Amino acid sequence: MHDFAEWLGSTPLSVAIQSRLWLTPTLQTIHILMIGVVFVSMLSVALRVLGQVRTEEPLTEVWHRFAPWFWTALGVMAGTGLILTIGEPVREVSALSFWIKMTLIVVGVASALYFGRTVGTAAATVSSVYSGRARVVAVMTIVLWVAIMFLGRWIAYDVEIWESWHLA
Amino acid sequence: MDLTPLVEAAQNSALSEWMRTSLKAVAIINALHVLAIVTVFGTILIVDLRLLGIPNVRRSFTRMHHELLRWTWGAFGISAITGVLLFMVNAVTYHRNTAFWLKMATIVLAGINMLVFELMTAKSAPSWDKGVIPPNAARLAGALSIVLWVAVIVFGRWIGFTKGYDFTIPEEVQFDFSAPAQ
Repeated sequence: MHDFAEWLGSTPLSVAIQSRLWLTPTLQTIHILMIGVVFVSMLSVALRVLGQVRTEEPLTEVWHRFAPWFWTALGVMAGTGLILTIGEPVREVSALSFWIKMTLIVVGVASALYFGRTVGTAAATVSSVYSGRARVVAVMTIVLWVAIMFLGRWIAYDVEIWESWHLA
Repeated sequence: MDLTPLVEAAQNSALSEWMRTSLKAVAIINALHVLAIVTVFGTILIVDLRLLGIPNVRRSFTRMHHELLRWTWGAFGISAITGVLLFMVNAVTYHRNTAFWLKMATIVLAGINMLVFELMTAKSAPSWDKGVIPPNAARLAGALSIVLWVAVIVFGRWIGFTKGYDFTIPEEVQFDFSAPAQ
């Protein structure tokens, strides 16, 4: 993996990204703005399950309000994240935070896909008060996206956070 | 007004010293700061877009505004506390950083925009609560708010790329740039 990262870092595309000094901060800023949209979209749906917001709307409607924003912002993040990784491949693959973050994103995307497919079939009526299990899943979803954000920020602090677990 | 003594006192405080020497404190506070600021941005964005009629004006503005306000303020409180802590870690450096001051000024402008909206424009909210496009003043407040909070995040990220490193080389350190003996 390290050899691949070293090679990727020496490709013309990676060098082109590295040589444009404004590009990395710009992409990181877009990446941060978009995680705001992704996180608050998920938070809104989770808080609806927890009965904190939008209780006058059925859960299905809340999901359909936020799903396009969630998926679009996530797509932009995949794009900016990919370019950032090509620009600094060794830094990314050496970070344990990066690999845990990628794993958690797979879990987050899979659970969002599953939720999107099943929410219409659930008895998502206006007056729905959700059971203990649904509430636990809602809290776990919030925790999952918070963890993804922490790990994203910790790529820059990988040695401090993981010490000897850092992969370099 | 010369803030230098205050800034130096912040950086020389025991708390600041502890954060600098602790391996993980800054990383954890920094991650919390990002979490809090994106929550501020995202929750305000929902209200701002509603003022602009995006995606629609079906929901009661008063209700959605009321629901989200505590999340926005809670997140803003965490942003402010973690922000002050991060400032203290390298106060002298941030104090000299243009992007830092642009960020602070933009937060003040966003606050003024919010105050004008809350104290004046929102008074008429019952007449455009739902089903109608809000008045121009409300739409302007929403648009300005989006621009200002995006700018806060832009300047915030720019601090990290412009602050440089604040250290001096101790006098007793001698640099030897001659080629090492083979």
